[in-house]
Amino acid sequence: MIEIQINGKTCTCEPGEFLLKVAARNGIYIPTLCHHEGVGEQGCCRLCLAEVVERGRSRIVVSCVFPVEKPIEVYTDSERVRENRAVVLMLLKERAPESEEIARLCEEYQAIDGSRFKALDNEKCIMCGLCARACQSLGTGAIATVGRGTGKKVSTPYDEPSKDCVGCLSCARICPTGAIPYKQDEKERRIWDRSFTLVRCESCGEIIGTREELLLAAERGGREPDTLCASCRQKQMADVLAHTYGLE
Amino acid sequence: MEVTEKNMREIIEGYDRDQRYALAIMQDMQRIFQYVPREGLELLAEYLGCPVSALYSMATFYKALSLVPKGVHIIKCCDGTACHIRGASTLIEGIARELGIGPGETTPDGQFSLETVNCLGSCALAPVMVIDDVYYGKVTLERLKEILSEVKKGGGGK
Ligand code: SF4
Ligand code: FES
Repeated sequence: MIEIQINGKTCTCEPGEFLLKVAARNGIYIPTLCHHEGVGEQGCCRLCLAEVVERGRSRIVVSCVFPVEKPIEVYTDSERVRENRAVVLMLLKERAPESEEIARLCEEYQAIDGSRFKALDNEKCIMCGLCARACQSLGTGAIATVGRGTGKKVSTPYDEPSKDCVGCLSCARICPTGAIPYKQDEKERRIWDRSFTLVRCESCGEIIGTREELLLAAERGGREPDTLCASCRQKQMADVLAHTYGLE
Repeated sequence: MEVTEKNMREIIEGYDRDQRYALAIMQDMQRIFQYVPREGLELLAEYLGCPVSALYSMATFYKALSLVPKGVHIIKCCDGTACHIRGASTLIEGIARELGIGPGETTPDGQFSLETVNCLGSCALAPVMVIDDVYYGKVTLERLKEILSEVKKGGGGK
């Protein structure tokens, strides 16, 4: 067990725990974009900066991938952090000028002026790769990062509709900048150039997912595809129990 | 070798079913077919039990792999600092005049592909050009013509 100070507050953690996690556990908020519980750390947006002071020496670290190994002093909102973050946000904004979330963060944390750079056209993506990871772990691996360097992007193979995609929206939901477009109406969902028929709860009519997505979940779970939404399913279960125990 | 399912399977099945061989298999395809054919990528995904997107991601990441057929002869023209100063761009223009292709392109007859690279580590020979692993140093426009016709006749390079 290690004791560290974050903004003057004493916090304890296991050696090797990431700083961001320790801060969060202690109710100290550090802004992030590319961090998401459960898909592993990307360490790519650089928004989660913190200042670490160790034996009188101060440095800026990327808190989501910074393992705490020694007793340190941490500042999440020092002058130095604010200055660095203002630069990072400016760069993110030039990269993804269309993202509302980034514009909001720029406002909130007073990003510096970036007009000397040429912003990308019509871009919202910061290439964090969360979507591809989410697709791999929750979905089917229909999308991945394509290419390298400045031309890198997220796409389906050959930029064509992917037969692996089940339209589950894992990618669009996890994206921190709202960069993955999709459309949905009463009957259909369109994403990655494909349309999927929506299935509704038999009891309350709530949308429960695409047919392909439910089939996949059923196959993985070795059961029949869901026909009810989560809350109706719970209710049904409760009714069954009540009936079994004669509590009606 | 012709791009047929049989030939592709032969390459793929020479390796164990393990995702760590994906790159080696694609490199073999590149060497044998001059590119990684789409059907090859799909067969490989099936063989390894991984998504096509994972292989596509790799194939687009490595410069050594190409998704469209490359020429039989690959010209690597150095445009690193030393070669650039000593006239690499003139050389690249010369190649464009002779063969009608720019960097990243392949002649319609499938004979030549041109790539620019950032340093071949032979700055003393600048400007340097490599065709099929044969180095040509201090290339002039005149010499370029000769080299290309030698390679066409099967003299230099492969
Ligand atoms: S689309 Fe969103 S989640 Fe995917 S890489 Fe871009 S910013 Fe990240
Ligand atoms: S949240 Fe740490 S780098 Fe993005």
